[in-house]
Amino acid sequence: MPETARILKFPHRGRVAVGLCLESAKSLALRYLDTPMSERSSDLLENCIAEPDAILALLGELRERCNTVPAIANDEAAKLFWLLNERPDRVGVFDEGHYFAGEAALMAGATSRLLGKRDDAELWFDRAESRYHRTINPGAALGRVSLERLVLLYDARRYERVFEILPSLVESFGKWGMVREALKCRLLEAMTLKETARLSEAVNRFRSLKNDPNVASEPAMHGVILAHLAELLSSNAEHLEATSIYKEALSLQHDDRQPIAVAHLKVAMGEGLREQGRIDEAVESYRSAISDYAGLGMQTLAAYLRVVTSEMLIALSRYREAEWELLAALPTIEEQKMVPEGFAAVTLLKESVRRRKTDSNALRELREHLQASK
Amino acid sequence: MEISDESGPTVHQEDPFEKEIRAVFQDTLGLIHIALVAHYGLEETEATELEKDLYVWFVRFCMRPGNRSPKESRPFLLVACCQFAREYQRYIVGTGVRETNDKVRELLNREPADVAQDFSQSLELLNYRHHPDHSDA
Repeated sequence: MPETARILKFPHRGRVAVGLCLESAKSLALRYLDTPMSERSSDLLENCIAEPDAILALLGELRERCNTVPAIANDEAAKLFWLLNERPDRVGVFDEGHYFAGEAALMAGATSRLLGKRDDAELWFDRAESRYHRTINPGAALGRVSLERLVLLYDARRYERVFEILPSLVESFGKWGMVREALKCRLLEAMTLKETARLSEAVNRFRSLKNDPNVASEPAMHGVILAHLAELLSSNAEHLEATSIYKEALSLQHDDRQPIAVAHLKVAMGEGLREQGRIDEAVESYRSAISDYAGLGMQTLAAYLRVVTSEMLIALSRYREAEWELLAALPTIEEQKMVPEGFAAVTLLKESVRRRKTDSNALRELREHLQASK
Repeated sequence: MEISDESGPTVHQEDPFEKEIRAVFQDTLGLIHIALVAHYGLEETEATELEKDLYVWFVRFCMRPGNRSPKESRPFLLVACCQFAREYQRYIVGTGVRETNDKVRELLNREPADVAQDFSQSLELLNYRHHPDHSDA
């Protein structure tokens, strides 16, 4: 079909939708992303925004980056949303301006969640919903927002809500033929079963996911599934199979360069080592994961793991190190209102100080020192 | 509007899914053209240009995650067609370039989704006449 559509002076569009070839669209998107935000010319912005295929390529590229550089993907998605929002009637054809803005908001929300900014994530999901509502056939897009909200509930340990909402979402994704989202729901269910100590059910779900042929095309998700399964097997003293699965997961992540999945795997391995009583090695594995998460900007997970690590350090009589881990976690715990972690941190701090049999000022001095060194 | 087979970068890379989209669009094009010209009162050349934009939109719409097959997406194509036509005609009439009659004015006041539903029923009837054994098409 000739790509020459020209509509006279339609007020809601600056340029017509001519459609770019895939290579040109991707090249334009990469040029946009490779140029630092502050150095993007108005021409570059206009060229990108005027071409729906370039916006799609940009969204695709950002989606890839969510799992590798979530903080950058978060900034870019937010920036793109506001850019699209400034000119909703000049972007794409028909409902595409709203659709693209919804996609950008959803991505900004998902990365905010990864970075532990839960309030921001909620706000972005609201924005995504409001844009999707203005598109034709918004059901599937709204379903994707619901799934992200569900993961947020999981993060907040609202497991009863996860179990309540999950079945209808699974059914909808099945109806829409959304394989990836349906897999994600099943993974979320297995993880929730694990967190609620329904371990044999969780193992069955993870095994079923591991053997699902659709998982092969989702290496990051595959790695997470293997890591959880290995952790569960390890906790059940099935160390041989657990080790083999860890190796499989490691090779997957190594091939695919998925830093978030690698960090998850280190946690799972740490958990397995702890189950085996190899506490020193477990601490090292956790610390490596903490460093990865902190590097990715995922502060809530880093804070949570610091609390877990401090417990192990106390068991190893390494009290001073335990206190440092806890105090490093406190600002995030406070900022993100991580109530259970807060209680655990305070209890562990008291325990550490008590066991160290030092004066009670040690804790205060340590905190002051940390605050001064920030 | 004819969907040309002339070679170009897009045609070169056309995959089976895009071919299916094209076929569905081509099947619906007659009705779209009637809607634009006979109902919304657009001129032939305007309708042809709008159809090209509509095709580009439909290709990308069908590729959105969770959208059903192109065939099942046909009702949405008609809604988009009516909304396109309404916005365009309202603009043209509003700027005084063209006068309109009562029939078109009444149509412009109706929700595009409702108008599209009427057209969908016409499409079903048309399909039934052409393929009485596949009336669900």
